[in-house]
Amino acid sequence: MKKILAVIRREFVARVRTRAFVISTILLPVFIVLMAVLPGLMMSGADHTSRVAIVDGSSMDLGRPVSQAMQAEKLGDGPAAGASYRVQVFRAGGDLTSVRDGLIAKTGFSKDRHGDRWDGVLVLTDATLTSGKLAYYGSNVGSLQSMSKLQRLVSNVLAGVRLGKSGVDPALVRRAMTAADMSTTKVSDGKLTGQSGEDSFLIAYFMGFILYISILLYGQQTMTSVIEEKTSRIMEVLTSSLTPFQMLLGKVLGVGSAGLTQMAIWGGSVFLVSSQRAQLAGLFGMSADAVGKFPIPTMAPGLLAVFLIYFALGFLLYGALYAAIGAMCNTIQETQQYASFVTIFILVGFFAVFSLIKDPAGSLGVTMSYIPFFAPFTMPVRWSLTSVPPLQLAASLGLMVVALLACVWLAARIYRTGILMYGKKPSWRELLRWIRA
Amino acid sequence: MEIAAGGIFGLLGPNGAGKTTTIRLIMGILEPDLGKVVLFGSGHGSRRLSQRIGYLPEERGLYKKMKVLDHLIFLGETKGIGRADARRRAQAWLDRLGVGDWALKKVEDLSKGMQQKVQFAGALLHEPELVILDEPFSGLDPVNAQVMKDIVVAIAAEGRTVLFSTHVMEQAERMCDRIAIIARGETVVSGTLAQVKADFGGRHVALGFTHDKARAERILADRALVARIDDYGASAELQMADGADPGQLLASLVGEGVGLRRFEVVEPSLHAIFIARVGADAATAHAGEAA
Repeated sequence: MKKILAVIRREFVARVRTRAFVISTILLPVFIVLMAVLPGLMMSGADHTSRVAIVDGSSMDLGRPVSQAMQAEKLGDGPAAGASYRVQVFRAGGDLTSVRDGLIAKTGFSKDRHGDRWDGVLVLTDATLTSGKLAYYGSNVGSLQSMSKLQRLVSNVLAGVRLGKSGVDPALVRRAMTAADMSTTKVSDGKLTGQSGEDSFLIAYFMGFILYISILLYGQQTMTSVIEEKTSRIMEVLTSSLTPFQMLLGKVLGVGSAGLTQMAIWGGSVFLVSSQRAQLAGLFGMSADAVGKFPIPTMAPGLLAVFLIYFALGFLLYGALYAAIGAMCNTIQETQQYASFVTIFILVGFFAVFSLIKDPAGSLGVTMSYIPFFAPFTMPVRWSLTSVPPLQLAASLGLMVVALLACVWLAARIYRTGILMYGKKPSWRELLRWIRA
Repeated sequence: MEIAAGGIFGLLGPNGAGKTTTIRLIMGILEPDLGKVVLFGSGHGSRRLSQRIGYLPEERGLYKKMKVLDHLIFLGETKGIGRADARRRAQAWLDRLGVGDWALKKVEDLSKGMQQKVQFAGALLHEPELVILDEPFSGLDPVNAQVMKDIVVAIAAEGRTVLFSTHVMEQAERMCDRIAIIARGETVVSGTLAQVKADFGGRHVALGFTHDKARAERILADRALVARIDDYGASAELQMADGADPGQLLASLVGEGVGLRRFEVVEPSLHAIFIARVGADAATAHAGEAA
């Protein structure tokens, strides 16, 4: 056991110390932060306080209700959120055009140098109330989001003013105007899943995809590392003190834990980004809402635990499978034909997820959860969609551990004989003999 | 073949004789088809006993990207030594082998010879009772070979056992207490060095020429006097024919006017024994195998 630990430590340190590992570990979180922040930054018009001048050319003081509504608008949900607009009303009197043009001349300058200038000019006239026509001149007209938001705002005010003119109580108007807000929750087998319909698909897809990608990225590293060991001839020293099983188990766990560490760092940074959205937004001078648009699926703790266990086991299991392939071959090129079998396994597991989403409790899903190579894909999805009997869960996990050890054992048998066979690729019959030997 | 505890045992043989295969069998890397390897009189394989055995394989291999010190610590750990202890021992060995300054360098930055020393240290780190070295001196310059030789001798002096394979007879002759010569997978000669020489028998004479060597040829070709000759040009080693007198040989040579630098009745050299026992048919056997 101590020796396996020594091998695990060596493999782990050897992987973690490489420049590639450090760079990729750092780059992905940076990428995640960018993903979270960029969409917000691109739509930044909506995310800082806009200074808007309202030119009121109407005869019934339309500027007042509009400016009030605009000033009441907040950037975020919290009580501390800043106002969306800073508004000043200019009464046009008889000379609408010159007032408007005078304000436009002070509009659209960069904020740092001209703090007293305007971001936009909103022009209201009598026609605004009757036909809904109004004009906006500003630097942020390219932001569809901020324009539609402003338009919605003014529409609401106009509707209120029109109703008020018809003698409806303003308080009643306000209540009548409250928008509908629908939430969706998926029900499966008469059981609430606690997720919105869109979310459950997203989560299933997300879990399958993460596993798929990480197996392809890291599983192959185990294979490469076994081959490297064969070519560097180091194993002749090692075989004298370690059993092939110890060597390979150490390798699978060592390379695997390096991969899992990286995943954990990435996963942790996703979690941090999503939980610290507000602070992050503040850092970039944006509203929390904007960052919140980045889709990070949230998982229930139970599901997260199941996913993590299956992820780790599946990851190691495929690593062991790749190690067995590495033991059979002498060069990376040779591994390709065998490695494609593994890729097929992964793909079958991955695509099974989609049929599972439709029928999570069906016999296909149950069967696949017992097959160790597919279970890591199917089980977390089933767990997220239906209730899985604990016995099934335990059996499926047990089978995976057995399969993992069996894979390593098989790889070790091949490795033990294959170790000193340079240059020649074994036939299937020879492989069988090596395993039995 | 039996290797007694203590002393230095030389495993000799021509290329392809099976030296490395023998060692791999001992180390449990290969399984014997027939027969059995018994270590320390116990039934366990070498892996169970790996704490007591140090092994330097012929195929030198180290993790190229690892730091030298870390590598030695790892090798120590695979032998069951604790980390701190392994670190201390590794540093001590590196200093002893004169590569202490390279402890924090990567293995790939070292020259071949230095890498070999590192691996040598790895094999000896856990102070094994039995040290098995496959061609330990090949590829080393004379100075480094000397350093290694001193260490091997020191190990034997501590009462530990060293088994090394080589095809350099002079080295084996100078260092080994016991030897075994194998050829084509079979033991040809084995025993203590003195025993092997005594068994080989015959009286041997070492000659050194200064001038007029050509005049000696007729005498040396006389099969009544000289049974076998190994001619090096400026010197020769010869085995006297049965019943021939070395004094008679000396008299004839001097009578012919051959200039002699050396005339000495000696024990047969290992080299001579090796050539006599293996040399003649080794080449033909290889050709036969190849065909």
